[in-house]
Amino acid sequence: MKLLHELYVYREFLKTSIRKEFRGKYKKSFLGVLWSFINPLLQLLVYALVFPFIMRVQVENYTMFLVVALIPWNFFNATVCQSTSTIIASSGIIKKVYFPRAILPISNVTSNFLNFLISCIIIVVALFVSGIGIGPSIIYLPLIMLLQYVFSLAISFILSSITVYIRDLEYFVSVLMMLWFYLTPVLYEINMIPPKFQALFNLNPMVHIITAYRQILYYQQAPNLLYILGILIACFVLLIVGNFIFHRCEKKFAEEL
Amino acid sequence: MKKGKSEEVVIKVSDVSKNFNVYYDKANTLKERVIFFHRNKMEVRKVLKHINLEIKKGETVALIGVNGSGKSTLLKLLTKIIYPNGGNIEINGKLTSLLELGAGFHPDFSGRENIYFNASIFGLNKAEIDRRIDDIIAFSELGEYIDNPIRTYSSGMYMRLAFAVAINVDADILLIDEVLAVGDQHFQEKCLNKMKELKSEGKTMVFVSHSMDAVKFLCDRAIWLYQGEIRKDGKTEKVIEEYLEECA
Repeated sequence: MKLLHELYVYREFLKTSIRKEFRGKYKKSFLGVLWSFINPLLQLLVYALVFPFIMRVQVENYTMFLVVALIPWNFFNATVCQSTSTIIASSGIIKKVYFPRAILPISNVTSNFLNFLISCIIIVVALFVSGIGIGPSIIYLPLIMLLQYVFSLAISFILSSITVYIRDLEYFVSVLMMLWFYLTPVLYEINMIPPKFQALFNLNPMVHIITAYRQILYYQQAPNLLYILGILIACFVLLIVGNFIFHRCEKKFAEEL
Repeated sequence: MKKGKSEEVVIKVSDVSKNFNVYYDKANTLKERVIFFHRNKMEVRKVLKHINLEIKKGETVALIGVNGSGKSTLLKLLTKIIYPNGGNIEINGKLTSLLELGAGFHPDFSGRENIYFNASIFGLNKAEIDRRIDDIIAFSELGEYIDNPIRTYSSGMYMRLAFAVAINVDADILLIDEVLAVGDQHFQEKCLNKMKELKSEGKTMVFVSHSMDAVKFLCDRAIWLYQGEIRKDGKTEKVIEEYLEECA
């Protein structure tokens, strides 16, 4: 509660900080924000060529099957990979002034979320071009986005604060994210997972999030709301835990950096 | 605005201690931690020892003492950049610190843009900054340079801009750490006068300085820190007199 009040007081700083991260990302490049489109498109091209033609994946309309999952995954991946450096990169101001440190991970997740929203234009265009179109199931989309935002924020809180103490995390996380990518049904269908591992996979929130995106956008079905709500609650609990860890760590940031 | 002192305590420091762990050779990564576990030898340096302090609203207090006596650490504790190992600090009111000037300044942006960025770190919103921006620019005396990127500024200009922002934040409590040393004579005097003005408006100030003239000019109470303890706390003239005797 105290945190929310402080965030309100420091809202201008939160805004400038998000803006700075969002704009700063492509600042020195020629194409600027266009990279938010080009990057996922190129990545998509690679997967869309490799899997159906070389690996012979038998999924109808594989490119579309991929696009609705890959772009949300990119949002998660970018957030987590950057989260390890958010605190360390701001060591200058942390040592000089007081402000709610939670602003840093929040602006990391939010600026990536804005980027994700821009990339969503690709999904929309692709849905229309491929003839799938957009069905009424799209009304569930904001809920899933919220779910992913909360989960990403929780992870960002935890990783950004612990990395200050254990710098190795930065290198470990990029490998971990590769593993996490293959353990999440982005490139494949959820039912391709052997049944005996299914329970284990269910522990990974990204499995549910990515599956829900695909269900809503590709199959145009409504997700099981009760199920989604359960995961949302679990993610909020994780967010509280993440915030607690962050809060415990933040007091020593200025000394450790 | 209320003038002068009141009995309201705005800063209350009770039994505060602060230790720094001084590593001889710090193991930062996990590998170093595992392989060179003996490397993590450290020395606990007690920077502040059981400090008790009360500052009332409207007081202007100077912290004096030789280098390493814990003055800056105390200020950092008050602004919550670092936290004490023991004891408790209570602050009533909006607090701004000028520990290091120009926090969050970005060299590629103009002076004007940096005012917004810097002031937002102090917790101001856009409307509040809009209202102050003319005062800030006027105080900084930067004139037309305000729209140039600040990487083109001289260190004095940089300092002036940073000080202008911090002094116009409109805090109830102002912590100032040895920042006046940079500007020229004219600007130093201007800053001191501005602080005197804030003092007459009833703001509380804690001021670290090695310039005894500035301390005498501004403060009615001085606290002499010596090796992490309060050596003397009282009227400025008296404390300074004893301090200078000891130093000589």
